[in-house]
Amino acid sequence: MADQASVTNHASAPQSPHEPASQKSLLPRVIGSRRAGLLAAGALALIGLIFGWQASRLDLGQIGLPGPGFFPLLLGALLVVFAAAIAIEGRLASSKLASSKDEPLEFGHAQVLITFAALLTVPLLFELLGAYITLGLMSAVLLVCIARVSLLLAVVSSAVGMAACWYLFGELLGVRLPIGPF
Amino acid sequence: MTGFEQLVRGFSVALSWKGLLYCFIGCLWGTVVGVLPGLGPLAGMTLLLPLTFGLDPTIGIIMLTGIFYGAMYGGSTTSILVRIPGEAASVVTCIDGYEMARQGRAGPALMISAVGSFIGGTVSVLGLMFIAPPLAKVMIAIGPSVEVVLMLLALFVISIVSAGSRIKTATMVVLGLLLGTIGLDNLTGAPRFTFGSPELSGGLSFAALAIGLFGLSEILINLEKTETIKAIQPKLRDLIPRWNDVRDSAPAIGRGSVIGFIFGIIPGVSHVVSTFVSYAVEKRLSKNPEQFGKGAIAGVAGPETANNAVTGTAMIPLLALGIPSIPATALLLSALTIHGVQPGPLLLTDRPDVFWGLVASMYIGNIILLMLNLPLVGIFVNLLRIPYQWLVTAILVISIIGVYSVNSSVIDIWIMVVSGGIGYLLRKLGYEMAPLLLALVLGDRLESSFRLALTMSGGSYATFLDTASVVVLGSALGLMLLIQGLAWVFGYRKSVTDEAERA
Repeated sequence: MADQASVTNHASAPQSPHEPASQKSLLPRVIGSRRAGLLAAGALALIGLIFGWQASRLDLGQIGLPGPGFFPLLLGALLVVFAAAIAIEGRLASSKLASSKDEPLEFGHAQVLITFAALLTVPLLFELLGAYITLGLMSAVLLVCIARVSLLLAVVSSAVGMAACWYLFGELLGVRLPIGPF
Repeated sequence: MTGFEQLVRGFSVALSWKGLLYCFIGCLWGTVVGVLPGLGPLAGMTLLLPLTFGLDPTIGIIMLTGIFYGAMYGGSTTSILVRIPGEAASVVTCIDGYEMARQGRAGPALMISAVGSFIGGTVSVLGLMFIAPPLAKVMIAIGPSVEVVLMLLALFVISIVSAGSRIKTATMVVLGLLLGTIGLDNLTGAPRFTFGSPELSGGLSFAALAIGLFGLSEILINLEKTETIKAIQPKLRDLIPRWNDVRDSAPAIGRGSVIGFIFGIIPGVSHVVSTFVSYAVEKRLSKNPEQFGKGAIAGVAGPETANNAVTGTAMIPLLALGIPSIPATALLLSALTIHGVQPGPLLLTDRPDVFWGLVASMYIGNIILLMLNLPLVGIFVNLLRIPYQWLVTAILVISIIGVYSVNSSVIDIWIMVVSGGIGYLLRKLGYEMAPLLLALVLGDRLESSFRLALTMSGGSYATFLDTASVVVLGSALGLMLLIQGLAWVFGYRKSVTDEAERA
């Protein structure tokens, strides 16, 4: 009764994360989970310290009548404590399981980096070029670089997509988007 | 006006052409986002949030809630036919659902899953209807000190019932509370961490953070995967289950409704945990436990019923207490606030049309979903034929427009992109995003209530230990420990997670 229909979800991806080639190339980088965990705990502790330092410059009030700086200072300190606990937990786990292999984590997959870079340019250009041109450019770049379609198809698809967005959001829903220099 | 009269009034709103249309749109979109991997109910709701701005608040909330429970229905379709859970709560369905599909029994699996979802959803709406009004009355009588105790309890529960590392979850809770302090101080108006930016005076945009931390991070993680998937397409005539299937499923559906109903009130990852517990219970009570993992229909019926039974009960703490228990209801809280409606004990007296309109629409929405999901299952599965990279492009464009349109601010796009990157890194390292978002939503109110309670008591911390607080805390903790104990007895954490991973 059941037909098997092959559905390629991520088929055009250029490489597998488990290919040994990833070890040779610069990207993606493989980092041990323990080391990555320590780095994350360090970053969280830093966030806690920054918030705590900034909060200490606000009015702290009294213990029975806290001011606007009290809560963030307390939370900043708690974040530092928890980050330290995560780091200690990671160290203890690594010393207990010294003989076991550290789980490798891959960072810097090409598709992820391209998508994230394209996204970072959007807020920079959104008001300068207008929403539709910026998002059209982003779509075309993503279609060419990660969906691996021809430039012509990418440009035409992006233009059609932006026209649809303009009609749906601008005309039907009345969403006001920046139009740039035009 | 009696409860029945209010419900009739609610139905008059839900059955108006606008109510029906937007309920249908919500259910349809919810099913689509439930089917598509990488788009869950939260991202689906955020994307259509701007659509509600021009609508009456009741109609807007009816649509957003439709997306929430529609996604729960849709998630099961891909679990059964493709072995890819459309959203987290459907992971368990992959185990036996896909096995049934491989044996040529996808039709009965889908049918039982849809019927179970309908029954679970309806039972939970009944619970919402009967529990929320008396609970709200109790809440009106209590002060800010009990509110603080309740919110602390919610955050504590989120930390201990999480699926991952508890210390990491607690860290995410603290980070969420800390991010919630950005903006003007509620009591004194002093700017905190705004760095002179007027856009940050109102705090970080919840919609931008939600899309970034959940939607964008999920997309980035999915982009790393390279796999070709095979979908099994059932024919409509094969949907009717055999008598044996009905006999095996009926008790599982009943138990799933009760489990989902109880777990819906627990903050955190209740809808996911309820499915694991339901699966473990069914396996434990089955006469043929060896069939589980090989296509046992009770392994589909129980979890699918439980995850839909959560949807109604998850609305109880939101509507009666103003405290969201899962990220999707946190977004509903945010949407209600944007519309000028304050969820909480006064909602039933100030805006009964919103509460009862929503309750009525949930009955109608469950019927719409039952009618929508079975005949159109082939169409929904075909959505997976769209190459993921094309889908990603479309989702990103809609997300950016959606996030910008909430406050017309480019800062919100920055928040979305940066939080997406941070969410991607944190998720790879085993941190959960749901606790962060819930803490972010609760943080502001927690701090205000905490300081207000101290001001009212003349600076005495004993106010947090008054009789009402102790009763609330004690009962809630007792209930929690009972549920946790049951969950551990049935060993949902280990055995079912292992099985899901193997599947």
